Amino acid sequence: MISRWVSLLAVRAAARGALRLLRLAAGAAVIIAAAPVSLVGGAAVTAAWLRGWPPGRLYRAALCCLPMIAVWLAATAITAGSWRAVAEAPYLAWLAMWHRGAAGSYASAAAVIGPAAIPLGLLAGGLAWSYRIRSMETGSGGLSPGSAVAFDLRQWRHQVRSARARISAPGSVPLTAQNGAVVAGAVIRAVNHQPGTIASIPYRRMRSHQVVVGTTGTGKTTLLLRLWAGFMATTLRRHAAGQGAPPLLVVLDCKGGADARRIADRARRVLRAAGARSTAIWPDEASLSLWALPPRQLTTTLLDLIEHGTGAAAYYADVMEAVVALAVEAPCGPPASSADFLARLDPGWLNLAYAAGGHDADIALVRSAARQFGDIALRFRTLFRRLGPGLDGPGGFGDADAWYCILEGTAEISVAEGQARALVDLLASYAAGQPGAVQPGAGQPGAGQPGAVQPGAGQPGAVQPGAGGQPGAGKPGGRRAREILLAVDEFSAVSRRLPIWQLYERARSLGLAVQVSAQSWQGLAADEDERYRIAASADGGIWLLRTPHPEPVTGLAGTRKLVDTTRRLLGVPVWGHQGSSRIRQAPVADPALIRSLDVGQVAYIYRGGVTFIQVKRLVGGPAALSGAVSPAAPTTGLTAADQPARGLLNGRSADGRSPTAPVPGESDSMRAAGSRSPVAPAHGESGPPPASWPVPPAPRRQLADAGEFLDEAFGPEESP
Amino acid sequence: MIPAEGTSRPPAPRGTAARPRGVAGRDITGLLFTAEMYGVQLDQLAAVLDVSEPRARAAAARWRARKDAESARLGPGAPWIWLTRAGLASCGLPYAPAAPALSRLAHIRAVIAVRLALESAHGYRAAGAYWRSERRLRARLGGRVGLREHLPDGEVHWPDDAPVPWAGECWAIEAELTRKTVSRTATIMLELLNRTGDYGCPAADVQVPGRPPRHARVLYLCSPAARPTVTRARRALGGAAARIEIRPLPPGAALEPAAGASR
Repeated sequence: MISRWVSLLAVRAAARGALRLLRLAAGAAVIIAAAPVSLVGGAAVTAAWLRGWPPGRLYRAALCCLPMIAVWLAATAITAGSWRAVAEAPYLAWLAMWHRGAAGSYASAAAVIGPAAIPLGLLAGGLAWSYRIRSMETGSGGLSPGSAVAFDLRQWRHQVRSARARISAPGSVPLTAQNGAVVAGAVIRAVNHQPGTIASIPYRRMRSHQVVVGTTGTGKTTLLLRLWAGFMATTLRRHAAGQGAPPLLVVLDCKGGADARRIADRARRVLRAAGARSTAIWPDEASLSLWALPPRQLTTTLLDLIEHGTGAAAYYADVMEAVVALAVEAPCGPPASSADFLARLDPGWLNLAYAAGGHDADIALVRSAARQFGDIALRFRTLFRRLGPGLDGPGGFGDADAWYCILEGTAEISVAEGQARALVDLLASYAAGQPGAVQPGAGQPGAGQPGAVQPGAGQPGAVQPGAGGQPGAGKPGGRRAREILLAVDEFSAVSRRLPIWQLYERARSLGLAVQVSAQSWQGLAADEDERYRIAASADGGIWLLRTPHPEPVTGLAGTRKLVDTTRRLLGVPVWGHQGSSRIRQAPVADPALIRSLDVGQVAYIYRGGVTFIQVKRLVGGPAALSGAVSPAAPTTGLTAADQPARGLLNGRSADGRSPTAPVPGESDSMRAAGSRSPVAPAHGESGPPPASWPVPPAPRRQLADAGEFLDEAFGPEESP
Repeated sequence: MIPAEGTSRPPAPRGTAARPRGVAGRDITGLLFTAEMYGVQLDQLAAVLDVSEPRARAAAARWRARKDAESARLGPGAPWIWLTRAGLASCGLPYAPAAPALSRLAHIRAVIAVRLALESAHGYRAAGAYWRSERRLRARLGGRVGLREHLPDGEVHWPDDAPVPWAGECWAIEAELTRKTVSRTATIMLELLNRTGDYGCPAADVQVPGRPPRHARVLYLCSPAARPTVTRARRALGGAAARIEIRPLPPGAALEPAAGASR
């Protein structure tokens, strides 16, 4: 009995062995018989493995061969004169290939079989590569338990190598795509996103909120510069094509320090190369005017810039509010500068201003608060001294294509907090004043309060993100609409007076796109609720660079279904062929992969998918040289902002003014300031010419008479 | 100051420092002229080389023998000569080789006539002015998206130290053979007068308010048919009209026996 059992086992083993040999022989025969297809397929799989390509790329390559097949078959049909020959063509080509190969003419053999073998080989290679990837993903492939992990790591290295090679090839990664999308770099790997070679972000997403998280030295600045330059170039192109308004990029760098200045200079050069005419660096080289705010908003902003106590101190806060309102809303108009405002914090000045009649209540208020005036003036004098001249104008956001605002959030937090609040109010006021945007409810309860949602949100007429060519854009006589991108870096450092989620909401209501960047998840906002609120409302996607704690962000990318296969371990390191599979949920964005990202690599998370990108670094023009500041430059608020670079490139302007000085009628701040502008309007503002007939710039000097020369060359000018 | 790319004609582009073996100086002048102007008719080539027509024909035959040029009778009048890829390469010019388009023969001839007339003037030679051709301007633009800018038929750059009162200026040259609408002509005039950047500059520099204009003046050379339209368009510009000069096309500008299509 035992011997029979043993012999049965031996027979079974022999039969299995024979069957396996038979399979191997059959497989080898097929591979040899279809040698050209096998060769192409093998080469395709090898190339895909080496370059880290997805199988889809091989399928697309096979599809691209269809015209070749069509031409081949058509030529065969025309030559043979029958459709039957077309059906037989592959077989005949296969036979001819073998015959010519046997005769030693290998090139001729390859040419005969090529039209059929190349697409079939690519297809077979794609299928084989797809099978290999899937088997490794599910854990059912490989010779050892660690094969799948090693395969994935190896493929990542190959994909990174390919992406780096792509971005290093000149011209292979443009700043913008033909459809206006902003190109960030080369794709390393895509999960639940359309795979491709170039990672491009549609312009619509650039006009939505985005979040960027990455620690120092991971390439965050490089990424941001690329996105800003892409936004600038695309918006300018759309504007030139009549599809949208001109761009306005406002960057709030809330760290400050020398590093911020270096980045600002780099940003200016990169933006200039992208088409921006002027980049203002605040407060170092340009100024803004807080006094351009509407009076009610100005009152609110001034009060919010001052620290208030609670309890008994609330009484003084009320007195201060009343006095500030009296000073700002005086019958003669709001103040034009901090000196003007401080001069008004005087009972005598206010009594005189309100003495015209009909202001008895105001005069009574001045009398009752007379004892507090000195203290209030002292507090504001201190505030203005700390804020510096950057907010005392002149200048406005309309004066430049890009503003890089440096806030000393590290060295002088309280000052930076005040500046941030004022800058956001100024930008909100500017955005609300655009054509098509509903004016903020100045004077309405809550208007101008921190975080107050401005009227117009979601209402018809409000400028919505992505709405190219907003209503009112380019209307004559009105302020030019702008497509605004507000980029804030480490805003949480200065967000005590204006919580960042309120900034988000406020920006949304005004049609601004906000790009929040931070060095870590914790740096996004003060508390976890705010962080999740910001990250969850990033319609334009989340950019995640290397960070030690990526889980909260990768969690937002969600999970995907994966097949998990267990296999019997027969012995180290041999796996058996028996096991079971089950479906499991795996994170779309692998946190371990995020932690191991190299410099310049970023994961772009959007709509439950992630694309890993090797960012292409932008190289700007040469650094600006220092030059003499034109005395006329401050008329724009752009002092020495970009005069050196522009001066170098373009020389003097026509009338001797700074090249940065906008032509009359260009400065939005001048328009906004109206009659109380501290700056006298330049020449030629008497009446703008019709839009269709722009006045050409005057030459630098009086034109010399060239009539005699032209008469000599062409004869005299005849009357028509 | 608008930088001139050379002094007087012909400029010495890169790659032409070493003269090809067997090519005379006059041949180089002719080859470069032909390359810059897309092509040239034999009678005009004779004027360029300052030789008789049979000698110009012999020069063209030499170029053809070296495969530097091709010639054919493309339209009425004398045969046309244009440079081949090898000829352009030997001149160091990055242009696409092509025979002059039939639709532009009349216009090319007119522009060449304008250039020859200018270059024959004493002031031009004395100043060492430089003609920058439309082909060069177009090459600077390349195949960029957004090529909707109007290109003049040529630019004349006057060196800063030239002994003429308009030294340092850049003129745009327009040869007008046919009548356009007044508004179209005025738009082109304004575009030329408003332009501040060089051709091929970033889009943001094309028209920058406050910067000096690129073209100090625009010189229109008109056929009798086009002249009234150009004059009316200039009148519509108002104060800027002072920067528009209008003159008749020089003799010999018309394609014999009659101009066909033109721009």
